[in-house]
Amino acid sequence: MSEPAALAVEEVVAGYGGVLALQSVSLTVRPATITAVLGANGAGKTTLLRAISGVIRPRRGRVLVGGQNVTGRSAEDMARSGVAHVPEGQGVIAELTVQENLRLGAFWRPGRVTRARALAEAYQRFPVLAGARNRAAGTLSGGERQMLVIARALMARPRVLLLDEPSLGLAPKIVSQVMELTAGLRETGLTVLLVEQNARSALSIADQGIVLNLGKVVVAADAVTLAADVGLRKHYLGF
Amino acid sequence: MEEFGQLTLGGISVGMIYAAIALSLVLIWRATRILNYAQGGMAMFTTYVALLVIKHTGSYWAGFAVALAAGLVLGAVIERLVIRPVESKPPLNAIIVTIGLLVFLEGLAGIIYGGQFRSFPAAFSIDGLHIGSAALGISANDVFVALAVLAAALLLAAGFRYTSAGLQMRAAAFSPPVARLLGVRVGRMLTLGWALAGLIGALAGVLVSPSTFLYPNSMDSIFVLGFTAAVIGGLDSPVGAVAGGLILGVALSYVGGYLGSGLVNLFGLAALTLVLMVRPSGLFSPAATRQV
Repeated sequence: MSEPAALAVEEVVAGYGGVLALQSVSLTVRPATITAVLGANGAGKTTLLRAISGVIRPRRGRVLVGGQNVTGRSAEDMARSGVAHVPEGQGVIAELTVQENLRLGAFWRPGRVTRARALAEAYQRFPVLAGARNRAAGTLSGGERQMLVIARALMARPRVLLLDEPSLGLAPKIVSQVMELTAGLRETGLTVLLVEQNARSALSIADQGIVLNLGKVVVAADAVTLAADVGLRKHYLGF
Repeated sequence: MEEFGQLTLGGISVGMIYAAIALSLVLIWRATRILNYAQGGMAMFTTYVALLVIKHTGSYWAGFAVALAAGLVLGAVIERLVIRPVESKPPLNAIIVTIGLLVFLEGLAGIIYGGQFRSFPAAFSIDGLHIGSAALGISANDVFVALAVLAAALLLAAGFRYTSAGLQMRAAAFSPPVARLLGVRVGRMLTLGWALAGLIGALAGVLVSPSTFLYPNSMDSIFVLGFTAAVIGGLDSPVGAVAGGLILGVALSYVGGYLGSGLVNLFGLAALTLVLMVRPSGLFSPAATRQV
């Protein structure tokens, strides 16, 4: 355990106004692994991602990326320090073209050549986006939009990818494509935190998982153990 | 026929000034969803600054440049100090703040410069141009006015489309939360939007003042017509703003020429009312209107 965790969340408390959506959540993620964050609606999954990516400021606790304390940094700064957050639902900017969406993923990276190479890589990995590069992102199908937001996040060459409900509203066939894609990202050294309602799909590709309930971690274990726990599945995971 | 041509050309020249005001309103609307009622007041103020510089240096172009720079700074400062605190509040707060700002700027101009009408120099000759013996109904200065606004609009369009800052500004306007997650400094983009609006407004002030005189309320009616042009164009579209300015300018020129110049402002307000009633999203916005 001498290698620093890719991502560590230490006793983070966060919420909105008077409501504490997260009550002392801790989590350690090894590099190049996928961690599924599971739980019912309102369990605090999205809040956890927001507290990590700086969209909301943790009231207590610390967030560390690669061993470095990044607690309290703004979302803008977090995006530039290697944490890419793909929010739930409408993550594409519909009015901009596919290419403009992609360019936004890396506009702050130094070097015109670096940015051009990132764009070329994105099109190579997602040929469907290359064909649609000059179309408004709003005209894409649900599956293509999900590809676009993931491709855009990768433009920043992040170390940690926070994915919020990538399967939401997608056909089962597309869901398995997205999961396959996410699993493939791990092979490139990326660390993924995957928030999902669809626990079965998420656990099928995850290395480990945590289950949140009412803002607290109920269980943290490796994915195989979680998927095999009948009581847990019945109570919290719904499959 | 000659009169029709004269009225059309004159309308285009005046319309480009409405277009400039409309453009500045659209820039702010897109960035912050605020209608800046102080836009005319800001333009009036920077035009006084231009007049001061012209008096001291004797150079029109020095005044012209200083006015644009002053507009840029004024826009940025106002966004940071006055608008930033109300950006996340209900829209009414921002409306009241910008109206208050208008009253403040006009009052301040009255205190500093006095209320009398001052003449403001034109960049070029205001003698009517002729082709052969046919009068065109416009002057060299009118041509300059139209070209200056056109150049500003094209530069702005190119900047939005081809530069990184332009892309960031559009992202910040369309979807602030997503832009933030991608690393866009949304606050800075809003300031930049106001600054550019201040610059375009200052341009309109300098261009229109030779024909209106300069006094603390001198931009009020221009503002209303610029606002009408922006509404015709849909408030969200820079191209629509320029088109709206041209349509309004030419239409009001016909009204003034054929029906009487006293009816121009009346028809301008009628056009505003009509567009708001019949097509509130403007003539140039896509059929599916966006929730604002």
